[in-house]
Amino acid sequence: MKRRTRRIGSKSIVNITLAIICLIWLVPTVGLLVSSFRPASDILKSGWWTVVPHRGNLTKEQIQLPKDTDLQQQIEVKGTLYTDEQLRAGIKAPDGSRLIWENRRARLINVQEPGWTMSKNFTLDNYEGVLTGKTYELKQPDGSVKKEKGSDLSRAFLNTLVVSIPATLIPILIATFAAYAFAWLKFPLRKTLFVIVIMLLVVPLQVALIPISKDYAALGLNGEFLGIWIAHAGFGLPLATYFMYSYISQLPKDLFESAFMDGATNFTIFTRLIVPLAVPSIASISIFQFLWVWNDYLVSLIFLGGQEDVQVLSMKIANLAGSRGDAWHLLTAASFISMLMPLAVFFGLQRYFVRGLMGGSVKG
Amino acid sequence: MKKKFGLTIASIMAVSMVLSACGGNNNESSSPSAPSESSKAPSASESAKPSQAGSPLEEALAGKYKGTKVTMFGPFVDVDQVKFEEAIKAFEEKSGIDIAYEGTKEFEATVKVRVDGNNAPDIIDFPQPGLLANIAKTGKVIDVSTFMDKAKLESNYNKSWLDMATMDGANGKIMAGIWARSSVKSLVWYNKKEFDAAGYKVPQTWDELLALTDQIAKDGDPAWAIGIESGAATGWPATDWVEDIMLRTTSGENYDKWVKGELPFTDPIVKNAVQKMSDIWLKKGAVYGGTKSIVTTSFGDAPKVLFDNPPKAWLHRQASFITSFFPEGLKSGEDYDWFPLPSIDPQYGTPALVAGDIYAMFNDRPEVRAVMEFFTTGESIKTWIQSGGVIAPMNDADPSWYTSDVERKMAEFVKNASTIRFDGSDLMPGEVGAGTFWKGMTDYVSGTVSLDKAIEEIQAGWKK
Repeated sequence: MKRRTRRIGSKSIVNITLAIICLIWLVPTVGLLVSSFRPASDILKSGWWTVVPHRGNLTKEQIQLPKDTDLQQQIEVKGTLYTDEQLRAGIKAPDGSRLIWENRRARLINVQEPGWTMSKNFTLDNYEGVLTGKTYELKQPDGSVKKEKGSDLSRAFLNTLVVSIPATLIPILIATFAAYAFAWLKFPLRKTLFVIVIMLLVVPLQVALIPISKDYAALGLNGEFLGIWIAHAGFGLPLATYFMYSYISQLPKDLFESAFMDGATNFTIFTRLIVPLAVPSIASISIFQFLWVWNDYLVSLIFLGGQEDVQVLSMKIANLAGSRGDAWHLLTAASFISMLMPLAVFFGLQRYFVRGLMGGSVKG
Repeated sequence: MKKKFGLTIASIMAVSMVLSACGGNNNESSSPSAPSESSKAPSASESAKPSQAGSPLEEALAGKYKGTKVTMFGPFVDVDQVKFEEAIKAFEEKSGIDIAYEGTKEFEATVKVRVDGNNAPDIIDFPQPGLLANIAKTGKVIDVSTFMDKAKLESNYNKSWLDMATMDGANGKIMAGIWARSSVKSLVWYNKKEFDAAGYKVPQTWDELLALTDQIAKDGDPAWAIGIESGAATGWPATDWVEDIMLRTTSGENYDKWVKGELPFTDPIVKNAVQKMSDIWLKKGAVYGGTKSIVTTSFGDAPKVLFDNPPKAWLHRQASFITSFFPEGLKSGEDYDWFPLPSIDPQYGTPALVAGDIYAMFNDRPEVRAVMEFFTTGESIKTWIQSGGVIAPMNDADPSWYTSDVERKMAEFVKNASTIRFDGSDLMPGEVGAGTFWKGMTDYVSGTVSLDKAIEEIQAGWKK
């Protein structure tokens, strides 16, 4: 009994800690989500947390001072003297209310009292602008305005799928084969080759951009999907191989021995034993690789470019902000839309984590 | 379970194959044209010599290069890209040349990789001539004067534009590109309705400008809305101010020397210019939000307070593009207008600080020549001028194309300006112009370093 309460106690400490960490991690995302529903002018004026009811100053009445009030001198409001600075920052009057300029030029003063307040302006404009494409107004010589609809996200969304699905499958397929070979096959220079693969983990991909681009130019692969598949596969392989190796090498040796006894070839062992057993790790490295490719900007910028027919989502979204970033408010909505696919992939593959774990493969 | 997983993979793969098949089509249809054209190039370029049978542009308009494709790369995206594509549409239809434009937000970072990686498009649009000058040294830029009619260029461009296009190539001077669009920087924007209602007068001299600043402060508002925050480029609006004031306090020759690095930042002439700027920037009550907020306010958000009701600030000095940051629904000439940043020393008049885009050519094919020649004509940006936001550097652009007086006035201002100079920080080497100059000004304005220290810091960029 005693032990049980202690366990519940330590469990709840862990849970509370986790909940707090989750909360901290969620705050920026929630802020972004709230902002994506707010008009741009509101985002500039006040923080997203003002949508939550909070204590603020409510204007009860306004006082109109004479137009010729000299702001350099002390200013008399309701019988008390204040300086201009005090009225700019807001100052408590003797009766408990707060005085602040509404409009210095018009000499208008707000009398405020504390109260509950919240910001209630919400809009779907940001999402509309992102999903259906922005509307550009082009002035015509005759003074009329021609409206031109920009392209929506669908093309870029498809392009990103076309890039990321093969760019996830190709390296993982190769890496799983390689990991099996490194873990269980005997061949000369096995250790050396594996160390080279591990060493490649620390090479930043940026150093490869120009040389690969030169090769691609010679092969005519720049701006082609095949080129970016190969590039992503290459950049993703070291990590995927290492990841799969660490899992596959941990599988019990007896499993392979009994399979060999039964006359299985390496290929049969790989397809019948290794792959089903490695599903959880395949699923997790798939998520990593998919997220990386989906969010990638640099590699597609260099090898794929920004032509409309190949442009990926991350570039399209960056371009939404405009040449000088004047439409930054659309980014809030756009980032949520681009998040949908990775979320779907994550939840789709998540069940393999739990189910795949060694379930009864070795008995006894 | 294994079966299910396999099924998932198979279906994902199938979907991706279908997608890639339909995505790939566009590519395949266009790619065969590129290699075949480039192999044709040598023979075709012989016939494209200027003395023979009409210029490349005329041949293109006659339909000789129908079905070819010219790739272009540049920094404008979004609305600018739409306007650009609108402007070249008529030419594309007439000539049958497809100009495939690719815009990126990361132009400065990408362009070097693309050129070094032998992956340069046919034409690149550079908003900073300094960057093009760096690339021209490698010899990868094609000298446009080899095929363009000199007399035509000289008649269609102000000499200073042509001079600015002449850069060091791998072997001697080359004409590295042609100027395709420009914008004016020496503009002070104001909320016309409120400005007139308050009874203010457009200042003609620097002293009048300072007097107006004081007057507005006395009436209860800070006069200026200033913001220099711009992400990694924070500080650039401050460099524009310094350049503008330099032009007004010293000769154009000194300005050129300064841009080349022969006149150091620590020189009293430059120091004086920064001090003149400080007369406004660091003055108490002259800037909205106080001097401290200059560094943290985004340059694009800064002018918005001009159009609050009532305005929270009254004046904003920025290039012509800033109108795209103004709140929607404002009418040019009615709700807002501009005046040139007034003259400081009468002997230097009211010069114009300009910026612009220079198009450089990286692959020599006849249809690329034709497109380049097309970009030297005002016709190439006609609809862009009409829809607003750009000033033509070419002389054959008709003033009647400008649909608003506000922009027509800009074109006239540049034409009549006593001196025209290009944005200095765009001409300086990247280490200074896009490095210590931005940073030094930011440090100075934020108050972390003194003026003397700041200009030393900026000057140090030249030694790198």
